[in-house]
Amino acid sequence: MEVKEEQVGGVTVLQVKGRLDSATSPMLGERLTAVLEAAKARVLVDFSQLEYISSAGFRILLQAAKRAEQNTAKLVLCGVSGKVRQLFDLGGFLDLFSITATREEGVAAAQ
Amino acid sequence: MNDAETTILNRREEFARVKESLDGLAAAHRIAAGVVADMQVALDEILTNIVDYGYTDGGEYEIRVRLRVLDNTLEATIEDDGQPFNPLEVPAPDTHAPLGERRIGGVGLHFVRNLMTDVRYDRVGDRNRLVLRRQLTA
Repeated sequence: MEVKEEQVGGVTVLQVKGRLDSATSPMLGERLTAVLEAAKARVLVDFSQLEYISSAGFRILLQAAKRAEQNTAKLVLCGVSGKVRQLFDLGGFLDLFSITATREEGVAAAQ
Repeated sequence: MNDAETTILNRREEFARVKESLDGLAAAHRIAAGVVADMQVALDEILTNIVDYGYTDGGEYEIRVRLRVLDNTLEATIEDDGQPFNPLEVPAPDTHAPLGERRIGGVGLHFVRNLMTDVRYDRVGDRNRLVLRRQLTA
């Protein structure tokens, strides 16, 4: 898994590529914790290059969403499609996160 | 190559060898990416479960994973000598709870049961044997 970080219009965009599972989730978890620490953090996680996500990945996303809520930060996800969307749906996670179709919409939603 | 067997120790760092083995078999048989993803997720969940809950004494144990391609089916057999544990008996998680009450426990096995075409558990002597089957047609 690779995580690429960019700043777009005041939003920290994390592009996640590859597989999010028990081996790679801790790395994304650390990045999310770091970016969500900033006051009024605005974070978009782009999953359009993600192959799949296991429950270990959802565990760190839940932690990040709870942290964002506590810190009144914004956490938005985009590019949730195909296999990844199926797993979000299966776990009942689609309603739990703010999800947009495209990166542009995601940046706008996070701003 | 129709099957591949990998023996790993009960540590997360070892999972990579099982994943690579599955990738190799999948490439050789041109198995669809979605089918491979389903099996990778299922193996990640099952192996994590064994490592986290199968052993309580902190010791080093072996987990055996055999992958096979049969007629229109990808099959994984996972064997461990940890505590008896039947993943089919774990209740489905509450997938409607709000964020504050949402727990990840049970989600992994919920994935396994739903992504696989067939899951069979047997306790054989002092070993758990779990057979996961995924149809090759999406």
